[in-house]
Amino acid sequence: MELINWWLVPPAGLLLAAALWWAVRRGGAKPQGTPAAHTARLTALPAYQRAVRRHRLLLVMLAAAGAVVLVGAAAAAARPVQSTTDRPEQRNRDIMLCLDASGSMSDADAAVVGVFRELAAEFDGERIGLTVFDSSAAQLFPLTDDYELVLDQLEQAQQAFDGTAEGTAILSGTWLAPGSSLIGDGLASCVQGFPGPDDGSRPRSVILATDNVLAGEPIFTLEEAAGLAAEKDARIYALNPGDFDYGQEAGQPGAQLRAAAEGSGGAYYSLDSSGAVPDIVRQVQEREAAAIQGSPRRIVHDQAAWPLGIALVGGVLLAGLAWRAEQ
Amino acid sequence: MAALLQRVKSKMFIFAHRKVRGLLDGEYGSVFKGSSLDFDDLRAYVPGDDVRAIDWKATARHGSPLIRRYVAVRKQNVLLVTDTGRNMAAAARGGETKKDLAVLCLGVIGLLALKHGDTVGLVSGDSEGTRHLPPKSGEAHLERLLRDVDTASLASPRSRLQDQLDYIAATFGRRMLLFVVADEVEADAGLEKVLRRLRAQHEILWLTIRDADLVAASGPAMFSVDDFSPLLRKLAGSAGVADAYTAAALDRDTGRHAMFRRLGISEGEVAGSADVMPALFALLERHRRAGQ
Repeated sequence: MELINWWLVPPAGLLLAAALWWAVRRGGAKPQGTPAAHTARLTALPAYQRAVRRHRLLLVMLAAAGAVVLVGAAAAAARPVQSTTDRPEQRNRDIMLCLDASGSMSDADAAVVGVFRELAAEFDGERIGLTVFDSSAAQLFPLTDDYELVLDQLEQAQQAFDGTAEGTAILSGTWLAPGSSLIGDGLASCVQGFPGPDDGSRPRSVILATDNVLAGEPIFTLEEAAGLAAEKDARIYALNPGDFDYGQEAGQPGAQLRAAAEGSGGAYYSLDSSGAVPDIVRQVQEREAAAIQGSPRRIVHDQAAWPLGIALVGGVLLAGLAWRAEQ
Repeated sequence: MAALLQRVKSKMFIFAHRKVRGLLDGEYGSVFKGSSLDFDDLRAYVPGDDVRAIDWKATARHGSPLIRRYVAVRKQNVLLVTDTGRNMAAAARGGETKKDLAVLCLGVIGLLALKHGDTVGLVSGDSEGTRHLPPKSGEAHLERLLRDVDTASLASPRSRLQDQLDYIAATFGRRMLLFVVADEVEADAGLEKVLRRLRAQHEILWLTIRDADLVAASGPAMFSVDDFSPLLRKLAGSAGVADAYTAAALDRDTGRHAMFRRLGISEGEVAGSADVMPALFALLERHRRAGQ
């Protein structure tokens, strides 16, 4: 706790002292008005003395209220501040949600979008984009921090996948190329969706939801797309709705996906894993924390509430007492 | 320089025009002038003259009432007594300074006395001392007396009229007419004792100047002449205080009236300069009736 306008305190003290001095001096000054004799006949009356005591008490309270107002106002004017050292949160992460909309995923898409919505709700300040792919990739919305749009679009997508809305139009850009479920191409498109220079100033994450069941001839294989992601310094977090692998052999779709994700520094989750969402959020945020060593900033918070509140209470008291004294 | 006396005279002049010329004059004469058997002259009757003094035969011959005047038995010594302490610098009920009212009252009585050939003296003072100006005749002397009364100010010592009364009791051996002008004194044993003592020797007329009403609902700000502390008018005017004060004031007035009645001293009251003449007239009238 410190005072910005500390120099205001001595003048306020002087003012208070001057007011006191004036009051005392005025008390000793020759009174104005008509001289009256035998005033003791009035002032010695018990009724008068009671009234004087009441009046004196009122005046003392008035003076106290006045002092409270002055002290409160002076304290507020002196600007008491609480200064804290804070590392400002620089939210410069980019997160691309990457959704496989192929037939094999059709059962899980709605659930995946649900998980995306949870994720979007967890993140705060990051830019989020959504790309849906099947045989070709369509960007539903680019990276944006307009969360209203993000949630709105995700809700629309969920309704489309649920079949509760005539929303398959949002998927119409995903069947342009021959084939289906071209995961490598989709991931590559997602990775290409990150704008800006690849200097690592904005940590990038791809949350890829796919079963990695390929049906067609992709331009990029999953490994090549993962390589692209590595070039772009993007981590891949894979969400697999249905892991159909048998055993621990490499080359199976789930294992390939896991390899691609973990190879990029990301992680692999099955969709129904309850820890997926907090885990991804934590990992994404951890990475950001490591990436940004923002210089600590001194933040000054005005602590005017207490002095102003006291001054207000004193003012109300002052007004009430003054009104009472006028009666 | 007869400035104060001039003021008194103009007051009397206005009064005489408004009422009947010579009213007070006749009143004074019939109250205080004893009559010897030595006939002096006749003069026209003026209201206030003692009806018994009318010379009916001369009146019948003349056609208008005439009264017989006799050479006065003796000259009266009129002793004006007043307080010149700080209290007299305070306001009277009518708003004027009590001192000014006192000057007016004393001046009127003094002029009447001079006109009837009496001598006028003054005893005045405060708690710290008493001054005595011995009886003499002449308007210049009266002016001097009034000047002395006029010195009362806020810088004067406190008032204590009983000191002046004690002084008179201790100093004067001759019978005199005491004309006392004071504010609302409170009847107490000491005052009654000295007045009883004085009454046995002198004839006493008492004129009370009413003090300012301290609990009046409206009026200027007031301060005490005792300690110069301001009077809290709002508090004084509040119902409980005003009632208590009014009751106490009534008690005081009643006590004072009762004391004067017991002592056989005529008392009159003045609140403002407009009252002075009627009040003096009423006082003399009352005194005459009491004497008969």
